[in-house]
Amino acid sequence: MSRVSFLLLMAVMASALYLVRTQYESRSLTTEIDRATSLARNLETENDRLDVERRAQATPLRVEKLAREQLHMRTITPAITQYATVAGSAASAEIRP
Amino acid sequence: MSSRSVQYTSSPLLASKTPIWRSQFIVAVIAAGFLGLVARAAYVQVIDNAFFKRQGAVRFVRTLDLPANRGRILDRHGNILASSVPVPSIWANPEDIERDPAKLKALAKLLGMNPAELDKKLQDEDKTFVWLKRQVDDSVAKEIAALKIKGVYDRKEYKRIYPEGESVAHVVGFTNVENLGQEGVELTFNKALGGKAGSRRVIKDRLGRVVEDIGEMMPPVDGEDLQLSIDSKVQYFAYEKIKESVVTNKAVAGSVVVLDIKTGEVLALVNYPSYSPGKRGSLSGAQLRNRALTDTFEPGSTMKPLVVGLALEKGIVKPETLIQTAPGKLQMGTATITDAHPHGVLSVNEVIQKSSNVGTVKIAMQMQPHDMWEMFTQVGLGQKPQVPFPGAVAGKVRAYKTWRPIEQATMSYGYGLSASLFQLAQAYTVFAHDGEMVPMSLVKTNQAVASGARVLSVQNATAIRNMLHMVTIQGGTAPKAQTMGYSVGGKTGTAHKVEGKGYASKKYRGFFVGIAPIDNPRIVVAVMVDEPTNGAYFGGDVAAPVFSQTVQQTLRMMGVQPDMAVKPQVVTKVEKESF
Repeated sequence: MSRVSFLLLMAVMASALYLVRTQYESRSLTTEIDRATSLARNLETENDRLDVERRAQATPLRVEKLAREQLHMRTITPAITQYATVAGSAASAEIRP
Repeated sequence: MSSRSVQYTSSPLLASKTPIWRSQFIVAVIAAGFLGLVARAAYVQVIDNAFFKRQGAVRFVRTLDLPANRGRILDRHGNILASSVPVPSIWANPEDIERDPAKLKALAKLLGMNPAELDKKLQDEDKTFVWLKRQVDDSVAKEIAALKIKGVYDRKEYKRIYPEGESVAHVVGFTNVENLGQEGVELTFNKALGGKAGSRRVIKDRLGRVVEDIGEMMPPVDGEDLQLSIDSKVQYFAYEKIKESVVTNKAVAGSVVVLDIKTGEVLALVNYPSYSPGKRGSLSGAQLRNRALTDTFEPGSTMKPLVVGLALEKGIVKPETLIQTAPGKLQMGTATITDAHPHGVLSVNEVIQKSSNVGTVKIAMQMQPHDMWEMFTQVGLGQKPQVPFPGAVAGKVRAYKTWRPIEQATMSYGYGLSASLFQLAQAYTVFAHDGEMVPMSLVKTNQAVASGARVLSVQNATAIRNMLHMVTIQGGTAPKAQTMGYSVGGKTGTAHKVEGKGYASKKYRGFFVGIAPIDNPRIVVAVMVDEPTNGAYFGGDVAAPVFSQTVQQTLRMMGVQPDMAVKPQVVTKVEKESF
């Protein structure tokens, strides 16, 4: 009888220790996951920020200014545009007279 | 030490028999101790369990707010018009701030305030939280952190960035520091854009790391992205052009509206003066107003095509019907209606082309007030436009039963009723869309072809378009509306501004509403220039050139092929290389 009790006691002890260990592991994993999630979120916002910055570099205002001042370009008109029509409907691409 | 006086084995103390009660007493005390522990355990774990649980939670459990990202605002091609980015905000704890004058002075300098101001913010030592400055630049926050002042911290907040700046400011609007929409679509769609913050209950350890989740997490619902029908290139171009016109004509303000007839979308909605949504330090009401939607004015001559359209529909006149407008004057009761120049006999086509008041009144007086009122209402005058925008106004069309004959006459050429520029542009979609009134949307629809309620027959809409085209050719009031490569049509308007109870004698509003290309319409463009003071003030002079340039660029960007002959100006020629 006492031997059985002893074995059961050991089993309970082992199980308790295992529980503590599992709890510890689960907590460290939670910490990991939490860190990864916040990293993901940070990267996402960083991505958004860079998107906005890229857009800010390519606004029509800036593009036109650069084109005009640095590249000496001018606004196009139909007079200097060649209109191409899709093959099939009209075979030729022509400069409209 | 030869002998011992006491024999240990026969110590009288040991020899005496211990009374049994003593051991019993010890056992009883220990038992009482255990009972005490049991009682305490029962108290902690059963009787007052809730209290202790709560106390535990206060020490370890934290509720974390999971902020929702505010949705972005995009143009029709997916370009960002507004987006949120995280920026640091600086706060301090006055209770335990380190009050080192040199450091505080450096801090005040970085924050851009004078030391007295900073002292004032920090003087209340009972407070544990006070914002020093919200939404500062990253570099500034780093410099402040480098000062290492105890009790000064930064916190991440979201700031709205508007890369397109002033050209779309009125449409997009802005948010306040709490990320709530204050103007424009930021305000109208605040709920959808804002999303819903979530929350999460966690246990944190000594180092502040999350070690366990408690209960269910409420995930945040991010705000939806909002895609507008606005084309940022068209918008920018129109803004530049109206700005140019307002400046050269020394005007007070100007607006442009560009509508896509095929899809029923607003491509551009521009006002000048505008503001930069990122820098709102010194904003005036004049800059803030979205004039195209919130300012109403008497539409003047731009009403004439609507009246003539109705007359055609009712069979009162035909485009070729001749009308005597000589001597350029018409007496109605005590009032006299005059033309700018006397014209003699004009066809209905020419009444529109020359913008004759007398001719229009003669046509209008053959109609019932009710029919005119119905026409005005059908094209959206006197009703709030169905665009989601704060402050859009309805304009004024009085009930037809109260019209006196002279009022019916003046209304036919656009006085005695009011409309916003947007409403005028929308009304002209009737002519552009073959007689159908197209409902307009500020949000991208992806709908190929829009359709609406029929107001005019296809034939009559075409006839009016023909008249509008005549306005822009030789002999019309707006040859300056012509644009290279595309046929256009439209109507000029010039109206005296109302001041107090009457009309201001030298204050005008010039406008132009037009359609292009005229045979197969794609866009309606409306332009208004408010109080031009540099000599020219007729709509045909101040507004038509803006129309012309806007049409040209918009159609080109939409890939519409020119419908008119253009003399090519390609100057380079490939020469064959000679050997």
